[in-house]
Amino acid sequence: MTIHDDVSEVLLTGEQLQARVAELGRELAADYADRQPVLVSVLKGSIVFLADLVRATEIPLSVDLMELSSYGSNTETSGQVRILKDLSGSIKDRDVVVVEDIIDTGLTLNYLLRYLHDRGPTSVRICCLLDKPARRLAEIEIDYRGFTIPDRFVVGYGLDFDERYRNLPYIGVLRPSVYGGADPEA
Amino acid sequence: MDNPSQGILAIDGAERPSGRNDQGLVAATLTDATKPRFAHASEAELARILDFYQVEWRYEADVFPITWNASGLVTESFAPDFYLPQIDLYVELTTLKQSLVRKKNRKLRWMRLLYPEVRVKLLYARDFKALMIKYGRHDFMAQVFDANLHNSPGPMTPEPRPAARVTVTAA
Repeated sequence: MTIHDDVSEVLLTGEQLQARVAELGRELAADYADRQPVLVSVLKGSIVFLADLVRATEIPLSVDLMELSSYGSNTETSGQVRILKDLSGSIKDRDVVVVEDIIDTGLTLNYLLRYLHDRGPTSVRICCLLDKPARRLAEIEIDYRGFTIPDRFVVGYGLDFDERYRNLPYIGVLRPSVYGGADPEA
Repeated sequence: MDNPSQGILAIDGAERPSGRNDQGLVAATLTDATKPRFAHASEAELARILDFYQVEWRYEADVFPITWNASGLVTESFAPDFYLPQIDLYVELTTLKQSLVRKKNRKLRWMRLLYPEVRVKLLYARDFKALMIKYGRHDFMAQVFDANLHNSPGPMTPEPRPAARVTVTAA
């Protein structure tokens, strides 16, 4: 039994991901030449994407990380999103690129953008690997988009379900039986 | 008043056929200013999610007439569950009985036809389930949501949220 057994379909192969991330890196390098942007990523889902993206972006840049509480387990103790890990450095007068693994409802990013804008950056742009617009509530202008994906429960390449599957080298569709549903073929 | 429909529309603050229909008076009768009575547990849950991400919301804030009779009287209207003023988006949940989905879809088609400038997002039961899975709200799914697919509960009042910073409606 491996983590692959819980995947019903490979949505994006490792090769597809690497190719697209390389393209995004080249785009960022072209757009931010001589500007030394700071790439701000949100833990934990974006770590794999970020790691590959920065290596594909061959210009001087810096990286910072944030972690936000997520709705669900924390709702009993606090009614609002909390910053579990703040930026390490100032982004005032800096060009910021927010690196996200996936944009779904857009609520998390909507909050994050307000937070970042309050810190006086020169600019803020969005780079996301996966855009899942089916359930979008907060409209987000995505500047760099890896893939637009259908409304499926995806894991891998940093994305988890219950903290598992982040180490899959591809983006896969999780079997419904894993999260309490019924598999179509069952 | 010559046209009886004008009386009703004036009370409702409606404009026909286009323009947002600010139903402050009507909304005030539907919801309490601080504790709206949600029609379904999924609505209360969405309110908590919006609170969590500090997105302002109003519950059943506006009513949009969608059909009129020959006399100009409003015969059918659509009141989306939530209005998110910061995002300028209406959200309608269709997590109740499946039989209501077709009716809501039809209303939404009319809504989009008559008010094309108004953004409405319809969240189906499967969408809401996916959100609950994403947020790890399996307990909510098991205790409330699945059961209520076939048995609509009575109105629900959300639990008190200490530190809530949300604008709750009723204009």
